[in-house]
Parts: sequence; C-alpha cells; structure tokens
Amino acid sequence: MATAVPANNTIADLARSARDWLAGWWHIVLFSARLMVLAFSPSSYRGASRAAMARQMVDDTAPVLLWFTLLSALVSLVIIHIVVVTSVSYGLSRYALEMVVRVLVLELIPLTAAMFVALQVALPNAAEVAAVLPQDGGVHAGRRVQLLNTEILPRVLSGIFAVLLLAAVSCVVVAVLAYLWVHGFTAGGFAGYTRTFGRIFDPTVTLIFTLKTLGLALAVGLLPIASVLYDRPRVRERKSAELRGLVRLFFALLVIEVAALVANYL
Amino acid sequence: MSSRPTEELPPAHSTSLELRAVLLVALLGLLIAGSIAYLMYARGVFEPSQRLVLLSDDAEGVAVGMDLTFAGFPIGRVSRIELAADGTTRILVDVPRKDAHWLRESSVFTLTRGLLGNTNLRAFSGVLDDPQLPADAERRVLVGDATAEIPRLVADARELVANLTKLTGEQSALAAALGNVQVATERLKGPRGALGVLLGNDADAQKLVAALERTNTLLARIDGLAAKADQQVFGADGLMPEARAAVVQLNAALLEARESLKKIDAILVDAQAIAGNARSATDDLASLRAEVDASLRKVSSMIDEVNRRWPFAKPSEIKLP
Repeated sequence: MATAVPANNTIADLARSARDWLAGWWHIVLFSARLMVLAFSPSSYRGASRAAMARQMVDDTAPVLLWFTLLSALVSLVIIHIVVVTSVSYGLSRYALEMVVRVLVLELIPLTAAMFVALQVALPNAAEVAAVLPQDGGVHAGRRVQLLNTEILPRVLSGIFAVLLLAAVSCVVVAVLAYLWVHGFTAGGFAGYTRTFGRIFDPTVTLIFTLKTLGLALAVGLLPIASVLYDRPRVRERKSAELRGLVRLFFALLVIEVAALVANYL
Repeated sequence: MSSRPTEELPPAHSTSLELRAVLLVALLGLLIAGSIAYLMYARGVFEPSQRLVLLSDDAEGVAVGMDLTFAGFPIGRVSRIELAADGTTRILVDVPRKDAHWLRESSVFTLTRGLLGNTNLRAFSGVLDDPQLPADAERRVLVGDATAEIPRLVADARELVANLTKLTGEQSALAAALGNVQVATERLKGPRGALGVLLGNDADAQKLVAALERTNTLLARIDGLAAKADQQVFGADGLMPEARAAVVQLNAALLEARESLKKIDAILVDAQAIAGNARSATDDLASLRAEVDASLRKVSSMIDEVNRRWPFAKPSEIKLP
C-alpha cells in the first residue's frame, strides 16, 4: 500500500501532462485558424495593420535574405561537388544532376530555410510578442484585437513570408549553380537540364513539395508565437515558454518533413 | 530584434517600408510564377505533341515521366501506363511534334533493363525514308532484360569452370596426354630421335635403318639397269632408229596402196557405165517382147480366122470330163 500511492500519482501526472500537451496543441490549432481567417480578411491589410505588416516583413526578411542565400549557395556548392564527384567515380554521372536537384531543391533547402527563419526571425518575434503582452494577461477585448492586428498577425505573416521567400530564392540560386557546375557556362545543356527538371517535378512531387514548403512556413510563422501565448499560464518563466515553443516547432518540422519523405518515396 | 510599436513610425518612413515590402512580395510572386512557368515548360505543357502507344507484356521498371530516346536523345516522355483488358500493358508516350519525324512506320521500339535496374525505352528508325508514324499508333515493344540472362550466364560459367577443373585434374586425359608428350620429348632428344618415338622401340628402328640401306643399294642397281635400257632403246643400234625406218617404209607402202585404190575407183566407174547400158538394154527387151507378143496374138488370131473359114474345119467342141 505504501508504493501504490506514488505509482498512482505518477500515472495521474503523466495523464495530466498528456492532457495538457494535447490541450496546448488544440489551443494552438484554434489560434492558428483564427489568425488564418484574419490573414485572409482584407481589413487586416488597412491602416496601421498594413504599415506594421510592411515594417515587419522588411525588417525580418531583407537583412537575412542576402546572406542566407550566400550561405546556402556555398553549402550547396560543396554538396553538389561531392554528389557529382561520387557519381562520376561510380560511373553514374547521368544521375548526378537529378540527385543534386532532389537532395537540395526538394529536401534540404526548404527545411534549412524554415529552421533558419525559425531561429533568426520566429523565435525573436515570439519573444517580442511575449514582451508586448501584459504580464498579468488581463487586457480588454478592444486592446486584444488591436494587439492581434498590429503585433501578432504581422509577425506571423512575416515569418511565413520569410520562409517562402528564402526557400524560393535559394532554390532558384541552387538550381542555377547546379547547372553551371555540371555543364559550365554554356547553354548547350539547357534542354537536357530542363528535361531532368521536368522528370523530377511530376505533378505528385510538385504537389508534395508545395504542401511541404507551405506547411513548414506555417509552422515557423505560427507555432512559436502561439506557443508563447498559450503555454504562458502553465509556466513561470518566459524563457521556459520560448524553449517549449522551440520544441513544438521542431517537432512539427520533423513531422512535416517525415510526412513529405514518406509521401515522396514510399 | 526589439519591439517597435507601429504608432511611432513617421508617414514617410512607412511609405518607404511599404514600397520595400511590395518589392519583396513582388520578388516572391515573380519567383513562384517563374518556377511554375518553367516547370510547365519542362513538363512539355506548351509543346504540341502526339501520342504513341507501346504494347508490352511486362512494364516493370517503366515509370511515368521516363524518356523515350532516339540515338541517345530524348524525343518523348511516358505520360501514362495502363493495363489493357487482354493483360498487356499499354505505355502511352507523348512525342513532341518537332521530334515526331524521327519515328517512322518501320521504327522498332525496345525496353531494356540494365544490370543496375535502370530501364530504358529506345526507338530505332533504320529507314528514314519510310512514311512518318501517325498519331495514336500502336507498336509492340521488344523487351530485353540483361538481368534475366544472369542466372543462365552463371550456370554456364559454373559448367565451364567444372569442365576446366576436370580437364586440368591430375587424373584427367589432358594431364596424361601432357605426360606422354613429355616422354615423347625426352625420347626425341635420345639417339634414335623421332624414329624411336614413331616406332616405339630401338629394334624396330634398327630394322628400319637396315631397310633403308638395302633400299639405297636397290636404287643403285635400278639406276644401272635404267642406263642399260636407255642404251638398248635409244642407242645407235637401238630400238628407236629401227622403228623410225619401219615407219618410213610403211609410208611408202601406204602411197602405193593409195595409187591402187585410185585405179580401182576408175574401174568401178567403168563398171557403173556398163551397168547403166545393161539396164537400158533390158528396157528395150521389154518393149520388144511386147511387140513380139502382139505379133504372135495377131498371127494366132489370123490362124483362128483361117481355120474358121477353112471348109474342113472341125467344129470346136468342149468335152467335159
């Protein structure tokens, strides 16, 4: 009887944790849905909200765009070189380009862009949101709507936009680099390269790629801020809330990436 | 990044920010639109194409989007794979119109699977003057599977290795033959040489040598005999000069015989003339006989007339027996 009580407490704690975890996800999903409705509402792009959104997008995206592109180009060049040299040494050079495009454009670049934006943009934004909100959480409805329009929605949309733009620019740059690395500065290989691209991006792969990138962007834009907002009552320190948001975010990114891999290759 | 409340932004700064934001959004829109357009171009959406249906018993390894190549250049793309009601597979290939002229009525299509599992669809057009392949044409595809040959190849190789092992074994015929060759080579080096190898023992080889020596002696004697025969036949009093003289005499006799024959010919001509005269005389005799017969009949009829008119004539009677 003496050991039964702690065991019961442990099970109860686990059940409570699981319930809280699921409840947290449910709150986040509801909040995300509300924000998406707000994002698709034209009134969100007028007046002060519009200016706030423009400022947030420029401040979040412009500084990181150039050097993320350079960094991804550099890393991609190394990967392209490794893939091409390995393929040539095994006599499989005609598959090199296809492998480069599949590995980099389809898989690595969107995930890297999402993680980069999450660390550079989304988590600081979440911290800002936490700072703007009153510590006691007691705000009246009008102020809450204003905060949603001018502080939260711009940051969420900015995160989504940053992921999409960084991924798009890097994909294009890497595609061009792969062509130049394999064929050199000549237009002679363009037809074959285009054909390879067309063969890789069949409708299914294109759809999965689009959905995956959108999913990554939404996760990066929404989860850190939503986590800060809805995990607050259960935590005593803000730092802990940000960490929890980061864990949620990486969990979501992992699920999206694995789902995309399963859909693509199984 | 620090929090910057929106209310604090001056209007000019806000306009500039909006412009930059619009530029960023335009860049994203441009990239997405460009990517979509490029992908559509790469997928051949803007290119008019014609359909080619390849029929096969097995479409394993064929995938949608796979290339159909001609001379190493992709000229078509598999757009769909179907299973027909009769169990054959239908591989639907979209061939751009600009490349369709490479496909002719006599073109042959092959589906080959490599050792690494890669599959290739190839077209071969031997006669480029043939009529062009029409749209929606159906052709059988020849399937060649390199991996299907591997088990047979391995079995053959194993059999070959077993045979080689058997051949090169210590108890094998080849080893025995090589041993014999070695013995023969040793004997070749011996005093009797190749003869000893051929005859197997020295006594026979010695006999052969003795036979050769006797043959040489015999040949010498035959040589002398031939010299004597030559003297007898072709010598001054030999057979040949006498034969030549006999031939000369024979020629003279023949000339005389020819003269005699000429004389006989003349006699025969005379005899022929005499025979002709005799034939004409015979003809005259026949007419003479006819005249004599006519004269005799007249005399006979005259006697009969005389007898009738004669008074003592007896009546003629006929007595029957």
